[in-house]
Amino acid sequence: MTALLSTSAVGKHYGSGAARMPIIDGLELSIAKGEFVSLVGPSGCGKTTLLMCLAGLLAPSEGQVRFNGQLVTAPPIGLSVVFQDYSRSLLPWKSNLDNVLFGMRRVQLSGPEKRARAVEILAAVGLSGFEAHYPWQVSGGMQQRVAIARGIAAQSQLLLLDEPLAAVDAQTRADMQDLLLDLAKRFNQTCVLVTHDVEEAVYMANRVLVLGPRPTKVVREVIVDLPMPRDQLATREDPAFLHARHEVMALIRGMRQGKALA
Amino acid sequence: MKRETRIALLGLLVPLGIVILWQIAALLQKTPLFPGPGKVVVAIWDNYPVILHQLGITLRRASAGFAVAVVTMIPLGIFLGRVRVVGKVLEPLMDMLATLPPPAIIPLVMLFAGTGDWAKIVIIAYAAAVPLLMNSYEASHSINPMLSRVAKSLHLSRLETMRLIDWPSSLPMIATGARLAIASSLLVSVTSEMLLSTNGIGTYLQRSQENFRIDAGLAGIAFISLAGVLVNAGVFRLEKKWLFWHYRDQRPAE
Ligand SMILES: Nc1ncnc2c1ncn2[C@@H]1O[C@H](COP(=O)(O)OP(=O)(O)OP(=O)(O)O)[C@@H](O)[C@H]1O
Ligand SMILES: [Mg+2]
Repeated sequence: MTALLSTSAVGKHYGSGAARMPIIDGLELSIAKGEFVSLVGPSGCGKTTLLMCLAGLLAPSEGQVRFNGQLVTAPPIGLSVVFQDYSRSLLPWKSNLDNVLFGMRRVQLSGPEKRARAVEILAAVGLSGFEAHYPWQVSGGMQQRVAIARGIAAQSQLLLLDEPLAAVDAQTRADMQDLLLDLAKRFNQTCVLVTHDVEEAVYMANRVLVLGPRPTKVVREVIVDLPMPRDQLATREDPAFLHARHEVMALIRGMRQGKALA
Repeated sequence: MKRETRIALLGLLVPLGIVILWQIAALLQKTPLFPGPGKVVVAIWDNYPVILHQLGITLRRASAGFAVAVVTMIPLGIFLGRVRVVGKVLEPLMDMLATLPPPAIIPLVMLFAGTGDWAKIVIIAYAAAVPLLMNSYEASHSINPMLSRVAKSLHLSRLETMRLIDWPSSLPMIATGARLAIASSLLVSVTSEMLLSTNGIGTYLQRSQENFRIDAGLAGIAFISLAGVLVNAGVFRLEKKWLFWHYRDQRPAE
């Protein structure tokens, strides 16, 4: 299988001289078409930085990122990002609907079709009746769902999601997880999900990549051998789920203790 | 009675009280150099065609100077904010100009442009230029970097980014600059007319004083404040309409 997205020895540092701070070092990953891959790692290890490099929004200091075999130097067509900083990534002068439409600028549909699609996606993320509201008029969790809707609406081949559900309440969160999985399947989207929540990482993914402390790289790959579609009850009770969750959790706890000792 | 209504009534009582005290003081003084409100009302009635005509001249000049500043300084400010190097080089110069009181350049302008309409427009444009330039400069290099990322990830061209992201996000700060520039234009147009007497409301005030027509002078002042209040109200409405997303539910800071 050819990789949709791959990196070779990607490194990234901020600053220079005495202030030089290495964030990513020799990171290798490869994501195939149709996969749903979760990235987990300790807080501040460089997940957002990595995602920005993958998206072509930050230039790696070393190594390369390839999308569809092409070297990534700018954001490639066919790749969308849902930013961690959702509230500041929405345009405050546009309504929720217009924000979603703004994400569809490249979509090949007529105006009314786009509009209908945007309304449909907003409804899917549970925001019917809030189309005409402005992002600053709705709660943080709702803003985050507008940002997700904008990301989905672009109908890209690859969707990079940076902790997209962090501000969403627990009930809605489960629904949104299933929605994201469903949409990824429907629109044939490949997804890379950054999350702090190990359960979520395992529940959503075919594969979990565990990132090490800064400067980060992939320290373990955990294959999640569970059937799709996932089910909030059955999947979470499956021995394979529990096994994968245990493995990822143990790794992350180990890293935290290692840091505490050092 | 509701608390707000009471406060509002009190707010009206204060100026009313002042007018009454003023009238009493004027009656006690009995000199044309200290006209009471009654005399001023009569002066307004007698002189309003002249005052409105002169005020119109002043406002037209103020608008012309302001307009010149708007069309030159906003693009220049945005350009300097975007092209960092040039902006950085010119920053000390801008800071120096920003602290220079605009009327200080009047003698210099007189030397080159005389005392006519154009001299005044140049001075007004200069006065309006400073806040417009500074604010568009600030605005364009303090755009939320997240929005620049969004623009890039949506593959907006440079022009689209400027039109769809940079321009709206700079607008609130530019509007603040424009508000300062309007106040400054009015101030300087009246001042310049007092110094380079030809016509306009500033000259009218000057003449009234020279002819000991204090009542007519006060009538002129009343019209100037009225014009100021109306202009402010207009600006406020425009801001509410275009920048509601910035001020959200609060009123723009005056
Ligand atoms: N522009 C920048 N300049 C300098 N340092 C930065 C910059 N952006 C991020 N960093 C630093 O790089 C490190 C990694 O940041 P990053 O946001 O990628 O981490 P993260 O894993 O996404 O964190 P979180 O889990 O909190 O989202 C942090 O220590 C941060 O302080
Ligand atoms: Mg992050």
